[in-house]
Amino acid sequence: MADEVSGETSGTVSSVFDSAVHPRMLTHAQIYDYMEHPYKGLVYNTPNRFFHPVPTGIAPFSEWMEQSRPDGEIINTDSGAHVAREPGSVPARMTDYLRSNGVTSAVLLPTLRGLQPAADQGTAICQAYNRWIADTWLRDEPEQLGYLGTIRINPMDPDGSVAEIERWAGHPRMVQVGVPMEAHHPYGQRYFLKIWEAAAEHRLPVAIKAEGGVGVEYYPTMTGLPRTHIEFSSLHRDRFFVHLASFIAEGVFDRFPQLRIVFADGGFDALAPAMWRMDMDWPITRTEVPWVRKIPSDYLREHVRFVANRLEGPPDSEPDLAAEWVRRTDAANLLIYGSGYPLWSAARPDQILPGIPAEDRERILRGNAEDLYAARLAALA
Amino acid sequence: MTRSHVVGRVEDIPPGSSKFVPVGKFGVGVYNVDGEFRAVTNYCPHRGGPLCVGKRYPVIESKEPYEFETSGSDEILKCPWHGWEFDLRDGMAEVGGKRIRLHTVRVADGMVVLEGV
Repeated sequence: MADEVSGETSGTVSSVFDSAVHPRMLTHAQIYDYMEHPYKGLVYNTPNRFFHPVPTGIAPFSEWMEQSRPDGEIINTDSGAHVAREPGSVPARMTDYLRSNGVTSAVLLPTLRGLQPAADQGTAICQAYNRWIADTWLRDEPEQLGYLGTIRINPMDPDGSVAEIERWAGHPRMVQVGVPMEAHHPYGQRYFLKIWEAAAEHRLPVAIKAEGGVGVEYYPTMTGLPRTHIEFSSLHRDRFFVHLASFIAEGVFDRFPQLRIVFADGGFDALAPAMWRMDMDWPITRTEVPWVRKIPSDYLREHVRFVANRLEGPPDSEPDLAAEWVRRTDAANLLIYGSGYPLWSAARPDQILPGIPAEDRERILRGNAEDLYAARLAALA
Repeated sequence: MTRSHVVGRVEDIPPGSSKFVPVGKFGVGVYNVDGEFRAVTNYCPHRGGPLCVGKRYPVIESKEPYEFETSGSDEILKCPWHGWEFDLRDGMAEVGGKRIRLHTVRVADGMVVLEGV
């Protein structure tokens, strides 16, 4: 499978920046290797607790692309050897996939176990994942493939989040902060401000991605639980706009000019109409938010990026429409490539808007992400 | 053809008050803004609402998020339809880049006179 795609991709952009790779622990219990008591003594959700599983493929791995599924590999870590059980957990499989895509830099963004009712416990899970990724993936990176890390934090615990950002801010490979799409308040609200302040201070973009596993989050749509996967898959990402509208309306971008937000679950195809609507309301509701000095859509270019998703936008069978869509939505500036490995919906670079001008694809597949992380990498250098 | 219209005596339109003159296609509101008169076409450039039905408000600004700074008392005219705000002193919308139509208004012999409608 890997060989099949390598020829296609290397012809367009030879050095791809993959901004969304989701490595997973070898087993659901590996988390205990990186925990201390009292949290080591508690029981955690598995990362596979979903209410809307993908109805295709072979159970229990239908959620995950075939080449990411382990086949009895035994992986050694400092904490002992594990038989890999979880898709996306075997380093060699990920390396093969990324190399076949022409990737030379990849941002690792692990998803966790869903929101926890106890804030400290949620933070403990984040701490465990940060230790794990620093001790394994970021330490044993393969040749010619730069792995960059994500500092996972629990926004329900702002003090703990700031402490965790400070703990890892000096790590030479940690390039962003990661938070769940699921939240109990829209992220622009003042409850979270100190987190964004710390991220902006360290030039760490904040990636927002739907969580692995299911915890105590609210419904994935505004009107309750959908019944089927097709509804969940196509609608849950729309939650991005609640956070984006909140960041803009609460003046978070005015307050922290260095803050950058990455929506790592797609949603870009829903962005333009949602922004049209918000732009329309702005002159009418200005006295409510007089600190918002620019028309809302003017904040996007400077502060917001979306990970491209091959399931979104006009179909490839209509290349003219796709080109027009890219032109009208500023996609060449706002999109960054992220494969989404090992999710079943993972996208190869050649699947991202194949019909648009080469210079636009170059920006989406590499340039935009390099620009996004440049300030952080420069701050570390 | 345009004409001049006597709106009223200066002392009958003190600061903060206004008088509506039913002339032209939409009518014109004449506003006393801190001693200066402004004449506004009763037509909002946003969606055509009856702007002169709107109320007047102080200027609301902000130096940083969550902080409101209020100045003046009645410089802003707010359209009753969608709430677009226009500064009566220069006719500009607070945001959104639109401008209301201002007519010439002058004071002569203690009378407020509207020109060119």
